[in-house]
Amino acid sequence: MKSQENVANHPAMLGDRVKRAGWKEKLSHLFSRYGIFLIFIGMVVLMSFLSPAFLNVYNLMNVVRQISFIGIVAMGVTMVIITTGIDLSSGSVIALVSVVAASFAHPGEYPLIVPIAIGLAIGVLAGCINGTISAKGNIPPFIATLGMMTAARGLALLYSDGRPIGNLSDSFSFLGRGEILGIPFPIIVFLIMGIISHLLLSKTKFGKYTYAIGGNEQAARICGINVDRYKILIYTYAGLLSAIAGLMLTARVSAGQPSMGQMYELDAIAAAVIGGTSLSGGIGTIPGTMIGALIIGVLNNGLDLLNVSSYWQQILKGAIIVAAVLLDSRKQKKS
Amino acid sequence: MKAKKALSWFMVLALSFSFLTGCNALAGKNKDKIVIGAAMPVFDDKWLSYLYDAMKKYDQEHIEVEVKMVDAKNDASKQLSQVETFLAEGVDAIIICPVDTSAVKPMVEEANSANVPVVVVNRIPTKDVLDKIYAYVGSESIQAGTMQMEKVAELLGGKGNVAIMNGELGHEATVKRTEGNKQVVKKNPGMKIVREGTAKWQRAEGIQLMENWIQSGEKIDAVVANNDEMAIGAIMALEAAGKLNDVVVAGVDGTPDALEYVKAGKLKVSVFQDPMGQGRGAVETAVKAARGEKLNNKFVWIPYELITKENVEKYISKWK
Repeated sequence: MKSQENVANHPAMLGDRVKRAGWKEKLSHLFSRYGIFLIFIGMVVLMSFLSPAFLNVYNLMNVVRQISFIGIVAMGVTMVIITTGIDLSSGSVIALVSVVAASFAHPGEYPLIVPIAIGLAIGVLAGCINGTISAKGNIPPFIATLGMMTAARGLALLYSDGRPIGNLSDSFSFLGRGEILGIPFPIIVFLIMGIISHLLLSKTKFGKYTYAIGGNEQAARICGINVDRYKILIYTYAGLLSAIAGLMLTARVSAGQPSMGQMYELDAIAAAVIGGTSLSGGIGTIPGTMIGALIIGVLNNGLDLLNVSSYWQQILKGAIIVAAVLLDSRKQKKS
Repeated sequence: MKAKKALSWFMVLALSFSFLTGCNALAGKNKDKIVIGAAMPVFDDKWLSYLYDAMKKYDQEHIEVEVKMVDAKNDASKQLSQVETFLAEGVDAIIICPVDTSAVKPMVEEANSANVPVVVVNRIPTKDVLDKIYAYVGSESIQAGTMQMEKVAELLGGKGNVAIMNGELGHEATVKRTEGNKQVVKKNPGMKIVREGTAKWQRAEGIQLMENWIQSGEKIDAVVANNDEMAIGAIMALEAAGKLNDVVVAGVDGTPDALEYVKAGKLKVSVFQDPMGQGRGAVETAVKAARGEKLNNKFVWIPYELITKENVEKYISKWK
């Protein structure tokens, strides 16, 4: 039953159904598919009315740069959640990548490729361990990644002796603070990783299997999909994305910090869920998640612009996140 | 009959002897080592790590004192169970740097019922808890806020728009430092607080908040942050926007990173809360407590100092 529903809601299938339906149904299908996007547009319009400073190129660029880190992490988290898994380790992996990469990024010591390669390798390794433990060890991903969350943070503290590692080279700092043709580097990476992740999920065997595992793992196994192998690959990819975010965040603050990325895993999960990813698996898209991250960014930025008190900001953020998902899920049920 | 009497005498003797040696063994143990349990909130904090270093240093310098340090990982309930473990081990005194000052009461009460003196360091608990502890070692948070804003007011000539960057909401240092800031602003009719927001003590959050403030178009003459990391974040955002020269940025703590920014003239003011002084003061006070000495004053204040470009070298050498 469940797998049927999931297949029916798969974006590739929706198109066919829309063609055959009447205009009323067409509209609700449009909303079910683009609902969160419409909510996002609504928020942008609302913020533009409320704050004259909101709608200008610099501020919008500012918002996208601010969410590009969470956004990149959220893409990996989306894939993991599609398989009915979860990844709680993203924030801690960011911290571990941050301190280790920073220690190799002092000016005049190693070429730029060294801290980048080491950072990415740590992310890949952490993701691979997450995937292997949960797939081969048959341990719930919640527990496996909870373990990684604790251990990686501990390792980051151990490695850095609990202190930030500063004095980073200019070439490394470019990763977080540089611009190409006036566009901040993190935004470029966010968009590129968005395109790559979207293609991976929508156009490749890897993507098809990811949805299949989330739709019905048992069925996927019977169909001959090497579920364990793909799960490990998915978690590894999520680890890689965390590492990319960690490297850029380290460059942005010009220091490797063991306290970096606290609560990022939850923000990333929130972005994925706001973007329409279902925690029960099988449903979710990368563009949706990117919009989800943007919604979080617009909220943070808009509330700061409007000079809303910090206490109210927290209350409003919580309420708006739940409201956005509620609105979206209601529309999905109606269709 | 005679044999029985002799035997009973022997037993009495043996018993009293064993009592004596037993007492000796206990007293001896106390004399050659004072064991102090230090329940610390989180090892992952740069400023606190210097406080820990000072404690470890005291431990190394004094053979008769042993400091056992544990990390509560910012979890108040974990800290409570760590204090309970110390009590079960039978330490001579406990130093607590509370994760949450409002959650420290049960720890102190349990220590009191076990007759183990408690020294609280760095984060001041509420009054009802203060009555039950041996001493509080720290600096008056509000003083950091007033000193910091007084210097900023002087630099601004007593007038201008001020933005305050708060630490984690609800933390005592956030509340008190901000309160100190506001007291000074009140005394200067030309000054106005135009923005206030939290950057959760973090540099990355400080960048983000400052970016949003810059985008808001509000005229800001000074950014006064509850700690240095957030102030550095504000500086990075202002620098990227080419506006650092128009804005006075102030922090609190005087961390080594911040001192470099002071030296470069980017961070105009910082306030030094002496972590080594607090760490050392806490252990010294705890040792006094373990020895049963009486204190005249429950508050052991470690003074703040103002850091500006003129005296920054003195603090840079302090960290070395």
